[in-house]
Amino acid sequence: MPLILHGLTPIHWAAAGAVIAGVTLTLLLLANRRLGVSSGLEDICSVVLDTAYFRRGAITSGRVWRVPFLAGLLLGGFLSAVLGGGWSPTWALGMWDQAVGLGHGAVLAWMFAGGVLTGFGTRLANGCTSGHGIFGNSNFELPSLLASASFMAAGIVTTQLLYRVILR
Amino acid sequence: MTLLYLVLGTLFGFALSRSGAADYDYIQGMFLFERFQLYGILATGVLLTAPGLWLIKRRARTLSGTPIKIELKPLNRGTIAGSLLFGVGWSLTGMCPGPILVNIGEGKVYALAALAGAVAGAALFGSLYERLQPLFGLPPLTKPGKAA
Repeated sequence: MPLILHGLTPIHWAAAGAVIAGVTLTLLLLANRRLGVSSGLEDICSVVLDTAYFRRGAITSGRVWRVPFLAGLLLGGFLSAVLGGGWSPTWALGMWDQAVGLGHGAVLAWMFAGGVLTGFGTRLANGCTSGHGIFGNSNFELPSLLASASFMAAGIVTTQLLYRVILR
Repeated sequence: MTLLYLVLGTLFGFALSRSGAADYDYIQGMFLFERFQLYGILATGVLLTAPGLWLIKRRARTLSGTPIKIELKPLNRGTIAGSLLFGVGWSLTGMCPGPILVNIGEGKVYALAALAGAVAGAALFGSLYERLQPLFGLPPLTKPGKAA
């Protein structure tokens, strides 16, 4: 199945997994940093919110690596589009377009709502697919195992409900 | 070091972009049990990171000699409750936090709304922290400037 991005053929899963592992291990071996993306959401919040939560040590001490790393994620996506056929803004959303097909306003509202759940949920759980899913599980941490089982289960139930029940 | 973090983030983002990990259809395909791709990526990531982590922890020092310090995450009622909320959000948007940024980089306009939502969600959590703390058994806040 092609990617939504320019209909490109995806790279092999083992290659992607190897890059993820390589980046995770390099971060630790060279910089003593534990991989984690969702805490970066708090770095963004801390620009405008000056409460005790957003001034705590875990935020201020991690900012030096997370901000350039997050900028890299943007750049990686940008380069991927440029090298894969050119960069241009797009609304293409694959299965959603075929099954739902509502206008841009509905897509934005849907994405915002999902984003709120992701932002609130990952902070409440103290991690996401990277910090819990990759790093925590690789380090045999019980909270990460429980977190991963929970977000996978919730994702499976939600998608199955949406595409196999509601949109059937 | 800033350049190193930027390069690592770029590599990570490129791999997510080209593997389907930042692709709405591949995420739904994973949750529908129709596509193995994402399970393969996550499994390979963990299976290769685990022995590497073990070796680095045995070595106990970074390449430049600093003692390795891995901050462990707390286990509390928020671990599962938060992850369940996140799983719903991941399904709805087709993006976990890293891929939100990757999708914006690719030019997917709607990913900006997902980012706005995610930042709003994190801001809401931070603003309610003192009220949520007893409810979910979250750790107390550390003093500003002190490493957690």
